[in-house]
Amino acid sequence: MTSPGGQGGGALSTRGGATSKRMKWAVELSLGNCRSRGDRQSKDGDVMYPVGFSDKPVPDTSVQEADRNLVEKRCWDVALGPLKQIPMNLFIMYMSGNTISIFPIMMVCMMAWRPIQALMSMSATFKLLESSSQQWLQGLVYLVGNLLGSALAIYKCQSMGLLPTHSSDWLAFIEPPQRLEIMGGGMVM
Amino acid sequence: MAWLVVRLAISLSLLYTASAVFEDQVGKFDWREQFIGKVRFALFDTHSQASKKLLVATDKNVFASLNSRTGDLFWRHVDKTGPEGHIDALLMYGQDAVVVVGNGRLLRSWETTVGGLKWEAVLDTGSFQAAALIGVQDFVKYVAVLKKSAISLHDLSSGSQIWVENLPDSDTVQYQTIYSGGNGLVFVLGFVPSSHIVIVEYKIEDGEIMKKKSVEAAWMSSLENSCAVISSGNLLCVDQTTQSLYTLPLQSAEHTEMRQIHLQTLDLEVASGFQPVLTSTQPNPAQPPLAEFFLQLSPDHHILLQLKDDLIAPLRDFNPSYLAAFATSGEKTVAAVMTSKNDTACSINLFSADTGRRHLDTTIIYHMDPNGGKPNRLYVHAFLKKDDSVGYRVMVQTEDLTLTFLQQPGRVVWMREEALADVVTMEMVDLPLTGTQAELEGEFGKKADGLLPMVLKRLSSQFILLQAWMAHLWKLFYDARKPRSSVKNEVTIDTLSRDEFNLQKMMVMVTASGKLFGIDSKSGTVLWKQYLEDIKPDSIFKLIVQRTTAHFPHPPQCTLLIKDKDTGLGSLYVFNPIFGKKSHISVPALPRPVLQTLLLPVIDQDYAKVLLLIDDQYKVTAFPSTKNVLQQLQDTASSVFFYLVDSSQGKLSGFRLRMDLSTELIWEVVIPTEVQKIVAVKGKRANEHVHSQGRVMGDRSVLYKYLNPNLLAVITESTDIHQERSFVGIFLIDGVTGRIVHEAVQRKARGPVHFVHSENWLVYVYWNSKFRRNEFSVLELFEGAELYNSTVFSSLDRPHPPQVLQQSYIFPAPISTLEATLTEKGITSRHLLVGLPSGSILSLPKMFLDPRRPELISEQSREENLIPYAPEMPIRTEWFINYNQTVSRVRGIYTAPSGLESTCLVVVYGLDIYQTRVFPSKQFDVLKDDYDYVLISSVLFGLFFATMISKRLAEVKLLNRAWR
Repeated sequence: MTSPGGQGGGALSTRGGATSKRMKWAVELSLGNCRSRGDRQSKDGDVMYPVGFSDKPVPDTSVQEADRNLVEKRCWDVALGPLKQIPMNLFIMYMSGNTISIFPIMMVCMMAWRPIQALMSMSATFKLLESSSQQWLQGLVYLVGNLLGSALAIYKCQSMGLLPTHSSDWLAFIEPPQRLEIMGGGMVM
Repeated sequence: MAWLVVRLAISLSLLYTASAVFEDQVGKFDWREQFIGKVRFALFDTHSQASKKLLVATDKNVFASLNSRTGDLFWRHVDKTGPEGHIDALLMYGQDAVVVVGNGRLLRSWETTVGGLKWEAVLDTGSFQAAALIGVQDFVKYVAVLKKSAISLHDLSSGSQIWVENLPDSDTVQYQTIYSGGNGLVFVLGFVPSSHIVIVEYKIEDGEIMKKKSVEAAWMSSLENSCAVISSGNLLCVDQTTQSLYTLPLQSAEHTEMRQIHLQTLDLEVASGFQPVLTSTQPNPAQPPLAEFFLQLSPDHHILLQLKDDLIAPLRDFNPSYLAAFATSGEKTVAAVMTSKNDTACSINLFSADTGRRHLDTTIIYHMDPNGGKPNRLYVHAFLKKDDSVGYRVMVQTEDLTLTFLQQPGRVVWMREEALADVVTMEMVDLPLTGTQAELEGEFGKKADGLLPMVLKRLSSQFILLQAWMAHLWKLFYDARKPRSSVKNEVTIDTLSRDEFNLQKMMVMVTASGKLFGIDSKSGTVLWKQYLEDIKPDSIFKLIVQRTTAHFPHPPQCTLLIKDKDTGLGSLYVFNPIFGKKSHISVPALPRPVLQTLLLPVIDQDYAKVLLLIDDQYKVTAFPSTKNVLQQLQDTASSVFFYLVDSSQGKLSGFRLRMDLSTELIWEVVIPTEVQKIVAVKGKRANEHVHSQGRVMGDRSVLYKYLNPNLLAVITESTDIHQERSFVGIFLIDGVTGRIVHEAVQRKARGPVHFVHSENWLVYVYWNSKFRRNEFSVLELFEGAELYNSTVFSSLDRPHPPQVLQQSYIFPAPISTLEATLTEKGITSRHLLVGLPSGSILSLPKMFLDPRRPELISEQSREENLIPYAPEMPIRTEWFINYNQTVSRVRGIYTAPSGLESTCLVVVYGLDIYQTRVFPSKQFDVLKDDYDYVLISSVLFGLFFATMISKRLAEVKLLNRAWR
């Protein structure tokens, strides 16, 4: 399909003109142009089509089976996201060690905070998963993944000794016992 | 490698405990006062006119030089305590001061300007009688020392012994005095009681006895006080029973009897029961004494007499007169006489010694302290003025050991409170709130009287606060312009108020002489003093704070229990510790000897704690004993217990209070006195708080402390002092039930034992006689991994015995006293304050005295921050809290909490008083002294302005972008 527009006297076309300015759009009104369009012109003679008319058939946009699978897949991605992070977290946990210093603490905080944040915005995630047919299952998996994430964070806290699980952690709150007897005296003066 | 780790651990642990004072902190919150004690000898340096020296020797075995213009010490030598260092005599000639020490054991010569020792001579044994400077031909060359059976002569410049001679018949004759008139002879005077006087005459050159005679004197009972040598060798004696004076020329051979002069012939009479005293003066040891002398006939009657041509003539009669003394300047000798002016003042006048005529314009008015004692010693410093007239200054010592230095016409140049050299017990009391603070406090105390008045009242008090704050700001601003040195806040009793952190307190000190002091702990200023008359020496004092300053408007109240040692009877003295005023509260009469006291936490309606006094019939007297108190006592009687320890019988007994204030014996522990005797018993301090109920182990479990508030630590020493068999016993006894909680015996150990009993531990120090070293031992008691009863503690319900841990350490120094720091809430770690005989105070972290210190370090012990065990206890110089401000003869250390948890106030007393603050865990609750306020505030302001500017810039930029 070669454009003869260059030879056409009243042609507005610039297509192919490498030096000329590029237009965003163009309507070719010359007949010569139509001729070049092929056999339909020869059939119908000089019928003018309205602007923007396309005689090509519109492609079928209705939902197909393949797209549905895609959505499912995407939703599963979302649901499995927290679970997928767990190995990564385990690795970070292993690397950061159990010493109490600023970086491990920051890591633990992040690890603990992300699942909690995710759990708090559970409804938003559910909206995302609405289109999926396995919405409830995916929601459950997402929940379990986040819970596992936070459990991991708690385990990390535990191994770092940040959880008040020992009696020594409550020592400061023990009140001195009240004394029942009053006693005094000393050497005979 | 392991050793390296150990050292690292130690040095790390030290990092947290190091607490030295920085150079610029010296004197910032600490002060020291040095004392000398009761003056026994005082000599003014008359060597040169401009001399400011005053040499004193005291009953505390202190020989010192005072600046007579300021009262400060030039130098001070503190000798051994007890008879070994007792100063027997002090003589001065020129630049030299000769001192006889230790009952004639040593003869020392001191250089008076710098206090350096010139020479020291060891004398032969024998009890000291007298010492005198001996002059030959107007030069003083020798010093003679008279012992019970010998006389020795020493060279004054080198101390070498010239000769020593035995005294004839020294087993029957009591030789007491030496006399030399500068004519090459030394007279030794002795007497046989109720028989005769012996006079021995020695030649100075070789000690040859020139003459020996005895003179009949049947009336003679003592030579020392009633006899004096006057006017070129005339012995003069006075006798009360015969009411006569006796004279005897020493040198003449023909007199074999003393000439008697009846006092009646002179119209004089000795007061009945009074031993008359003769006072003569010998201005120059190389010259014979003056012919004038004082005769004291009664406590307030002196008379100046003159011996002339064997006749005694009165020159002037001083009636009444308290004190009289001679003084010499150049050729002139004067007599100063103190007479009573009125009830509150005395006047001192100067009289010429040879005529008895009064010098004009020489009166010094001495105002007696209404809270002090009567004057009892007068020391006169006479000097020649430019117009050749005699001027003088006097030093007066009173019964309450105050030294007052006065000059004409009665200006007090300086004052020293020497009673403070012997502090027996002390307490620290919070200062009262300021008027404005009290105003606010008072508002809450009163009953509500309507809404509007309350609002108005609040507004007015807030306004007053605002006013005070403005005044404070103004003062700050005003002071800031003045140079730093001139801004010195004088503390007076009116400006006393509690500071922000309650760091300034009132130190109430009780001294052995019976004088009470109130001292500002910040500056060491004596704010009030009160002399309690009629206190026998060796009385026992016990000071009790019954009401603190916390109960406005009730004034604070202290009670002093004074127990007479002889009669055993006690008396109570109740006073306000802030102002020193005696309270007009009726005190209970104590007809029976008091054995012990017990301060109950029960308070009466006036917020005073109830004091129980137990007498020798085990009956209890309550003070105060209002109806309210008795009612409360009846309610609480069944839970009041007390214990008594009788060291002589080796008996500890526990009593319970009955409703009717009688007592019943509930337990008794007898420690047989044949084997060991109880030397000390200590409970825990009542105001001690323990914050943590347990200790955290390495595995994060808890080892709970055995915190028994009724626990007593009883220390015994064996009666057998053989070094192989001697021992020290330690008993931990529950004071309520009498149960022996723990018992330990330290074999081959000897006292004196110093110990501290606090929280759940006991630290004691003893002498290990096998290895000949001092050792620290620490006992800690734990309940175990579980608390038996975490809400209440009752000694009657403790089925499980505690776990006891013990460890001992070598301490490389002898110690003289031991105390532990104390803080408000007990969060701060504890330190032990160790007073060393050198005068230093060591602050030893309790961390080093921990029986859980492991021999082998493990992961867990490292987790617990335990220092690995090392038998040697280190002494680090930065642990000395008093840097070079040594405290002589430390007798006690008193610790008190301040308003800041990190800070503990420490008072060390002995011969000196030293006050400081210690921070056992460093100052974690206050900014450091060198905190850079300027930097921090400039950074803050800088950041603030930077944000403001950048905000503005950002706005402009946004706007510009919007326009584009």
